[in-house]
Amino acid sequence: MRPDDRLYTKSHEWVKQSGETALIGITDFAVNELCSGNEGDLVYCDLPEVGRVLEANETFGEIESVKAVADLNTPVAGTVAEVNPAIEEHLEILSKDPFDAGWMVKLTLKSKTLDSDLMDAAAYESFLSEGAHS
Amino acid sequence: MALDEALLRGEGRPDDARPVLRLYTWSPDALSLGYFQRYDEVTAALRGAGHALPTLVRRMTGGGAIHHLRELTFSIAADAAHPLYRGPIAGSYERVHRAVAAALRRHGAEARERGADALTSDDAASPMCFHGSTAVDLVWNGRKGVGSAQRRTGGRVLHHGSIKLGSTPLEGAIATLGDIAPEELAETLLEVLGEAFGATFEDAPPREEELLYARARERFFASDAHLRRR
Repeated sequence: MRPDDRLYTKSHEWVKQSGETALIGITDFAVNELCSGNEGDLVYCDLPEVGRVLEANETFGEIESVKAVADLNTPVAGTVAEVNPAIEEHLEILSKDPFDAGWMVKLTLKSKTLDSDLMDAAAYESFLSEGAHS
Repeated sequence: MALDEALLRGEGRPDDARPVLRLYTWSPDALSLGYFQRYDEVTAALRGAGHALPTLVRRMTGGGAIHHLRELTFSIAADAAHPLYRGPIAGSYERVHRAVAAALRRHGAEARERGADALTSDDAASPMCFHGSTAVDLVWNGRKGVGSAQRRTGGRVLHHGSIKLGSTPLEGAIATLGDIAPEELAETLLEVLGEAFGATFEDAPPREEELLYARARERFFASDAHLRRR
């Protein structure tokens, strides 16, 4: 079971709200799709500058495995308050601990009310088990 | 590159789930950098090895640099939910490469996935795509013969492939198909991909929306800012 203290998207990002801020990352499922369990297969990750204003569903960065470049999208709108400095140099963090040490950006939220389309952990598990994901 | 981006985005195809296959060659020849490669590092390494560089461009897909000369290039764009691309990326490579390998075998190349084998074309110090390999790359004669990379964005996937008909000074001893016209290989690919995926191809020029999008993005892809973004 994935952490139930946050919400999830159908494109496998997670958002963990804490008051007026939120941490954004990608799920273990997304990491495994990119690198099939080989943590060394993740080679680059570009994250945004602090202060950048993001709309919901906007691309905030890009990640490359040895075989694919994929966009990183924020499920919520806000301003980048912090970027995880460890990620770009230590991509293995995403394989080892995608839900805590592997957070990517911290946003100051535009609205404290998150999109109702986001799923809780149980709904995300069901979404994955139904095989409806890409 | 701009037209490939139009295909990736599905421009002009909002309700059309059919994958699009684009086959093309390059004129003039060009050296494409992988999306994340550093311009200064690649050009310094190649010039340091005594190579003159052709026109440079940057792809939207990752991986190493490719000298697009004496090759057939293909792009396959489809929704990420399409059976071709659904699931782990490694599996999508296997499906595409199985069909491409069948086409290559018809032209005498014993193409197969590299697996755990070491290749004589591998060179860890080189920035070139054909001098690095993964388990899913297509190889024959102990060398890499097809360069592949994917871009995934907005629920869509674009798979780029470069099939070498002949080598170039930048790429040296790699696997090539030899004396065959790109058009002939293209015909074989269409036949084999059609058989592999139960597909019937509709031969068509780019759609108006795709061309409009590509023209609007031409300047970006030709810009120094994009070429030297890293």
